Amino acid sequence: MAWEVGLLALLSTLIYPGIIFLVVIALFYQWVDRRFYAKLQNRYGPIYTGPRGILQPVADLIKLLAKEDIEPSAVDKQIFRAVPVLILTMPLTALFMIPITGTWALASFEGDLIFIIFLMTLIAILAFLGGWSSTNIFSTLGGMRAALQALGYEVPMAVSFMGPAILAGSLSVSKIVQWQASHGLWAILLNPLGFGIVIVAFLAELERIPFDIPEAETEIVAGWQTEFSGRKLALIRLALDLELVLASGLVTALFLGGPTGPIPIIPGIAWFMIKTLVLVLIFSNLRALFARFRIDQMVSGSWKYLVPLSILQIVMLELLLGWLSF
Amino acid sequence: MKNLSENTFSVPFGPQHPALKEPENFMFTVDGERVVDVKIRLGYVHRGGEKAFEARTYTQGLYLVERICGICAMAHQLCYVNNVEALIDIEIPRRADYIRTIIAELERIHSHLLWVGVAGHEVGWDTLFMYAWRDREVVLDLMELTTGNRVLHASNTIGGVRRDLTSEMISRIRKGMKLLKERTNYYKAMIPKERTLMKRAVGVGVLKPQDAVALCAVGPTLRASGIKRDVRRDDPYSAYDETPFDVITYDGCDVASRVLVRVDEILESIKILNYALEHLPSGPIAVRLPRGVPAGENVSMVEAPRGEDIHYLKSNGTDKPERYKVRAPTLANWPAVGAMIKGGYIADIPIVLAAIDPCMSCTDRMTFTEVNSAKSWQWSRDELRRYSLKWRGK
Repeated sequence: MAWEVGLLALLSTLIYPGIIFLVVIALFYQWVDRRFYAKLQNRYGPIYTGPRGILQPVADLIKLLAKEDIEPSAVDKQIFRAVPVLILTMPLTALFMIPITGTWALASFEGDLIFIIFLMTLIAILAFLGGWSSTNIFSTLGGMRAALQALGYEVPMAVSFMGPAILAGSLSVSKIVQWQASHGLWAILLNPLGFGIVIVAFLAELERIPFDIPEAETEIVAGWQTEFSGRKLALIRLALDLELVLASGLVTALFLGGPTGPIPIIPGIAWFMIKTLVLVLIFSNLRALFARFRIDQMVSGSWKYLVPLSILQIVMLELLLGWLSF
Repeated sequence: MKNLSENTFSVPFGPQHPALKEPENFMFTVDGERVVDVKIRLGYVHRGGEKAFEARTYTQGLYLVERICGICAMAHQLCYVNNVEALIDIEIPRRADYIRTIIAELERIHSHLLWVGVAGHEVGWDTLFMYAWRDREVVLDLMELTTGNRVLHASNTIGGVRRDLTSEMISRIRKGMKLLKERTNYYKAMIPKERTLMKRAVGVGVLKPQDAVALCAVGPTLRASGIKRDVRRDDPYSAYDETPFDVITYDGCDVASRVLVRVDEILESIKILNYALEHLPSGPIAVRLPRGVPAGENVSMVEAPRGEDIHYLKSNGTDKPERYKVRAPTLANWPAVGAMIKGGYIADIPIVLAAIDPCMSCTDRMTFTEVNSAKSWQWSRDELRRYSLKWRGK
């Protein structure tokens, strides 16, 4: 019956694998990231709240939500208030288009990959707006850096996304996952270079070391987030955690075969969790290894190396496909 | 945050800023990401230390002088006791000289390791920070073992040292040095190979040798510009005239050289320590002093971890100094910072500032220094009051 279908759709959007599930794994991955990063640095990381500190991200979120929300008088109020909410909706919306439990995503249409790229660009633009509306000098600098950085990583990332899309002959993330499942072949095998470029570009998108330039603590305090506090900061932090899920989920879907695996008994969600966890650990590991780049080094490095390499990957893929006559 | 022109704007650094561990204000004029100009305002942690010396006896001053700086406590105290002992004109036992050298070198290792960590932190590489500070714990534990305190050791007294080294302490210092040598060699091999770090350090904050000399830079900052100058070598005190060591210089003149100079200096310190422990003479650790300090004046110099530390003492024959003046190494390095920072990027500010290993609490005395013109002046109380009113009226 129609209302049952409607209810199911509503529940799956709100609870599983929708908003609540995504927020829970976002907080869980934040804990994994913090723990692993701390271990690499010979520290403990969060250990007090919950078993092995697993509830620390929840505690942090609740604490921030309950804290005083300060709005400096000089800020551009409308944008300043809108940015935290909008920045949270971007990765959530994008995550609806990524297959999590099976080969179909909650929302799927031809060209949703382009839409995801668009949403991720919006995140960078929102970061810029957030910094600009704060009118703080550190925020403004951070916002400008976020926008500049986006100019560096967007192009190689988008070009590298095209590798799996060419393989599947579709710009839909779900179709790309289905193609990989039906051929029993992960796109990473034909796109190893593209995979690497996407990981690097996502480090920049997620504003992580070595690309935490827009929020470089020792230079510009907290960058574009400097003036945000209380609820607004809580939403922004949650959005960044969700972005980590989005990044690992998208890489999983495009390059690692999505929520499918060689052993059919294990359900799709388990495959999704395993693959995304591995990616989160890779991101954390890279974060511990490097010093921060300067913004000019990041942008010029990206255009000098990442863009040509991503194009080379597409050329190689086309030649390979012609040779294999897929 | 007033606009100076169409393209430039001012970025304040401090007095509260994550890159600065101590309060100090830097007003940078930037054009996009480029730094055009810098104005430094000192004095946020002025504590009137020099005046306080005049109200205290020489023995009380011994503990006050340490509190100029938590990290170079030993260097300042050594400088102080050298001054007083020179005025009294006594020879202290050789064993005390050696123990002073040992503690001073432990402090140098502690300071340099701390600095290597901070340098990593400033360029966003927190892993190096955590590792270096973990290793620094070894030295701090040895400090506690030998002097009783992790910082502010109060190990010196006028006429010698307070505590003797036992053979158990010596063997534990040896063990600690063995571990630290291994760790430091690891850093020495790893740091030049770590490309993201080198990208942020090579060619950044350049201080040419002639500028370094002209602007009176001191310590590792000067030695990283290829100038071989070290008080321990040029004007030896304590047991440095007997201990063999090399004065480390690098000629990159940039932040990378300053990192490498410090890492190498840790190794040299370990060498000095091992020699001093090996050749530690036996005998008493302190001598009894004649009463009072004769009138006169004296200047003493000590190579603190951050560079040349100069103290001046004027005595009028009473039990309190008539004037005590401290010129900490950080103050000597400020003019050089202005030269290093101009023309660089905003992103390079923290590491260039950190590269001189600034110690604000050492620096803030009665003298005001304007870096741009490198002129310094002193203000009377009235002038200070007038300035504060003017400042508030802004």
